[in-house]
Amino acid sequence: MDPVLVKMAFIGLGVLGCIGLVFGIGLALAAHKFAVKINPKVEEVLEILAGAQ
Amino acid sequence: MKDSARHLLMGAALVLLVVLAGCRTEHRFVKKVTFEKTNDIVITFAGPVDAAWAKNVDNYTVFEKEDPDILLAIKEITLTPDRTKVTLHFKNALNQSRAHTLMIKDIISEGKSQGAAVLTVKKLYLGYLFSILIGAMLIHNFVFTKYLGLCVFFGTSQKRTTAVGMGITFTIVIVFASMLSWFMYQFILKPIRLDYLQVVVFIGLVSLSVQAVDTILRKVNPALFKAFGVYLVLVIANCIILATPLILADKEYNAWESFMLSLGAGTGFLIALFLMSCVREKLELANVPPTYRGLPIAFIVAGLFALAFLGFSGMAIF
Repeated sequence: MDPVLVKMAFIGLGVLGCIGLVFGIGLALAAHKFAVKINPKVEEVLEILAGAQ
Repeated sequence: MKDSARHLLMGAALVLLVVLAGCRTEHRFVKKVTFEKTNDIVITFAGPVDAAWAKNVDNYTVFEKEDPDILLAIKEITLTPDRTKVTLHFKNALNQSRAHTLMIKDIISEGKSQGAAVLTVKKLYLGYLFSILIGAMLIHNFVFTKYLGLCVFFGTSQKRTTAVGMGITFTIVIVFASMLSWFMYQFILKPIRLDYLQVVVFIGLVSLSVQAVDTILRKVNPALFKAFGVYLVLVIANCIILATPLILADKEYNAWESFMLSLGAGTGFLIALFLMSCVREKLELANVPPTYRGLPIAFIVAGLFALAFLGFSGMAIF
């Protein structure tokens, strides 16, 4: 294998991994910051209902 | 009241100044230089010029501003009867999106020399941007001429309100996602020669922007979030949103051009959805044969729309 190509592939892996990591953390933080409290009773009531509609 | 009138006047003066500055050329005897057709440049002089001088090909040197060593060959020169307008016909079609430099030797008018001129010929940039917008919106409408995004198009065009809601959501998200993808491609993927991974990266960015809009909107503006409802997630399933970044990467557009193309793609989709939903609401009341009810007739209607949009093809603006 050509070492130049191997290097390119590893750079690609590294950079894309970093981008993914950064955006993943960003989304997680956003989800944390903009969290919306959902009443747990809503789900319980939906569970009990027939759910035909 | 008086204040606003003054502001209006000042604005008008500013616009006039910009327009006038755009018209001014670098030489007092040359009024205007413009592109015409595919391979013509028209020069308008302030007074009548010498016919023998004007028809001499050696008096003109034309090249693209970025490539001064490649001179463009002039095939023939024509002069209007009043001798103020010279048209240069070139052998090959000009690349009109790039600025050209035109050098004229010693202009001779009524036996007197008016000096040499170095002029720049270019299209109005705002007009070019506008033509990208209209092009993506109508002439190359993604739904009707490229047949992209059809599943969302048929899925959400049953009611007018949902169609408009989907169209507006889509426009906002596509502009956001395209600009993000454009930035990624130009400043990260291209410099490290990873452009062959563009499809993977763009898919990731599209879902990222949809997810981000979803998360933020849910908290910041619950009313709008409720109005968007399920469509926000449906945007990911639309292939126009992936096609646009790929086109941007392929054509090497800059930021403004990218913005205009993505805005055009979004509004074009909005127009398509709106037109289709208007027809489908009426179709509910029509007496359609049972085999054609629902999707089949919708496909036929979409085909007719596509035929109508074909009327825009080959149109050039500015």
